Amino acid sequence: MSKKQKKLEKPVRITTIARTMRFILIDKIVSLESGREIKALKCVSLAEEYLADHFPAFPVLPGVLLLEGLIESASWLVREAENFAHSMILLEQARNVKYKSFLAPGAQIEYTVQAKTIEENVSSFLGFGLSNGERIIEAKFGLRHFNLADEDSTMAAADARIIENMKKRWKLLKS
Amino acid sequence: MAMSRDEVFQEVREVLVDALGVDDDEVTAKATLMGDLGAESIDFLDIVFRLEKAFGIKIPREELFPAESLMNDPEFINNGKLTEKGLAELRDKMPHTDLAAFENDPDINKLGDLFTVDAIVNYVEGKLGNSE
Repeated sequence: MSKKQKKLEKPVRITTIARTMRFILIDKIVSLESGREIKALKCVSLAEEYLADHFPAFPVLPGVLLLEGLIESASWLVREAENFAHSMILLEQARNVKYKSFLAPGAQIEYTVQAKTIEENVSSFLGFGLSNGERIIEAKFGLRHFNLADEDSTMAAADARIIENMKKRWKLLKS
Repeated sequence: MAMSRDEVFQEVREVLVDALGVDDDEVTAKATLMGDLGAESIDFLDIVFRLEKAFGIKIPREELFPAESLMNDPEFINNGKLTEKGLAELRDKMPHTDLAAFENDPDINKLGDLFTVDAIVNYVEGKLGNSE
């Protein structure tokens, strides 16, 4: 039996990860003003696995995942504005993040994200989340957008597959 | 080597700036860790570790931020509010904090408001033997 580990080709490995990651922290896009503002909803369900530990007697959505909801909302604003030009949209920095209240199962949060600037490879936003009129989170943050092929031309196919998957997800979110 | 309250405050501020990535001037005495400075669950562990290193003290788990034990035990919380048992636990764990306002409406959502920069400075002073 060979001890040599089977190494997948890098592009296949990355797109496999992208396809299997079901880390989706918004459920539905409510409104979108191209290049300017997006509103999205998330319903918190008791079935979300991380709630079991956070916390056993008082499940609430972890702060980082509230921030992730803002980041995902902003990412869709970028994708729509740039017509899905980039496969990778990542958080570059977050500032003035404030957690005002907890969000428990059964609650719904509406994220509003306003673009300050959207350029070719960077963008900046102001975002907040409300639930029943109550502020849950606010943050200022910046994203970076690029293609894997920018650094490594052999990754062009991986970029294409990721973008294809994002376009499919977009259809689900805005329906 | 006794530290003045102001010296303790400066050191605590530095810890929070490093742990939370906030600016110096955001860390005021009354600032709340979650509501004003954006700290959340992961950050509390980081803050405890950095305080231990900065002041050469040991901070037993749950002593500075008792929230986790409160949120893990169903005897302490009912319907989003702390029970009598929960309040007793809180009083026990946070002797340096004025809990009067919170006890009027022990809404778990407001628990975070108790964790202010002042509360941390009080705690560290207590540990260093400055108070009493």
